Amino acid sequence: MSDVAIVIPLYNEEKVIRKTLEELRQKRPDDVIIVVDDGSKDNSYFEACIPGVYLLRHIVNLGQGAALQTGIDYAKKLGCKYVVTFDSDGQHCAEDIEPFIETLRNDEADIVLCSRFLGKAENIPTLKKYFLRVAALVERFLTGIKLTDVHNGFRAINVAKFPDFVITQNRMSHASEIIDLIKRLGMRYVEKPCTIRYSDYSLSKGQSMMNSVNIIIEFILGKAIK
Amino acid sequence: MIFIKLLLITILTVVFLLITLSSRFRTYQRLFIIFGYGALAFFILFPSIADKVAEAFGIERGADLVVYIAIAILALLSTVLYAQVKIHERAITKIVRDIAIMKSRKCE
Repeated sequence: MSDVAIVIPLYNEEKVIRKTLEELRQKRPDDVIIVVDDGSKDNSYFEACIPGVYLLRHIVNLGQGAALQTGIDYAKKLGCKYVVTFDSDGQHCAEDIEPFIETLRNDEADIVLCSRFLGKAENIPTLKKYFLRVAALVERFLTGIKLTDVHNGFRAINVAKFPDFVITQNRMSHASEIIDLIKRLGMRYVEKPCTIRYSDYSLSKGQSMMNSVNIIIEFILGKAIK
Repeated sequence: MIFIKLLLITILTVVFLLITLSSRFRTYQRLFIIFGYGALAFFILFPSIADKVAEAFGIERGADLVVYIAIAILALLSTVLYAQVKIHERAITKIVRDIAIMKSRKCE
C-alpha cells in the first residue's frame, strides 16, 4: 500500500464527485483515496463509492475541518505517512499532487500548500482574485506566515512527523487554524503552484466572500476558547 | 412598585437556584454569580442604599447600578454558555468521527 493518502471531504456534491474520483483513481492508481462524506443530504455518499476508495461517513454534518481531520485520523490508522487534502468539486488537478509529494519525500518541507497565484487560476473572477490577495495579506499580518494564497483546500502534509497536527476547528476556519498550526508546531512550509479550475459549478458552490468575515470571527473565538 | 420588586426577586431567585445547583460552573464563576445576584436582590429591595452605593462608585442612580451589575452577570453567563456549547461540539465531533471510522468501508 502507498504511504500517500488523498483525503477528500465531501458534502452535497453528487453531480461531480464520481468524475473527480475517477480522474484521481486513474492518475494516482497507487495512492490511498479516503472520502469523508460529511452528512450529505443528497446522494453523494453512494456516488462516491467507486472501486478502491475508502468511504467514511459522518452521521451528522460537522463541517469541512472536521471531515479533514477524520480523513487524517483514518490515513494514520492505515499507516500512511503523507496526506494530501483535495477538494471534491473537481477544482484541483491530480497532476499537481506529484510535485507536492516529492517535496515531502525529499524532506524539503513538512507541509506544502497550493497557491493559485503561483500557478494557474483558470476563469477566476477579478473581484475574487483581489479579495483573495487582500485575505492573504491579512493572514500574514495575523500569523506572520508568508503566503500568497489562503483558504485553498489543496495541501500535502507529513502527518507521520507531526502527530500533533490536529484540526479542531470544525468549520471553514480550519484553514486559518492550519496556518496557526504551522507556526505553533514549527513546520517547514513551502508554497507550490497549482491549477484551480473555476467552473460555473464550483463558483456557484463556493463560499461567498462575505462568509470570510464569519471565518475570521470563528477563528478568533475558537482561539479564545480552547 | 412592591409587586414589580417581588416579581424581580422571584425571577432572580429561580435563576440563581438553577445556576448554582447545576454543575456547569467553576467555583470562581459561582462566587461571582452568587455575589452579583445577592447584590442585585439587595439593591432592588433597598433602593435608597443602592443610590448611596452608586454614588460612591460615581454612578448617578441606584437603578443604573442594578442594570450594570445585571449586564455583567449576563455577559459572564453567555460566555460560559458559549464555552459549554464548544465543549459539547467537540464531544459530538469525537463521537461522530469514531462512528465514521468504525463503519468505514472499502468500495469494491
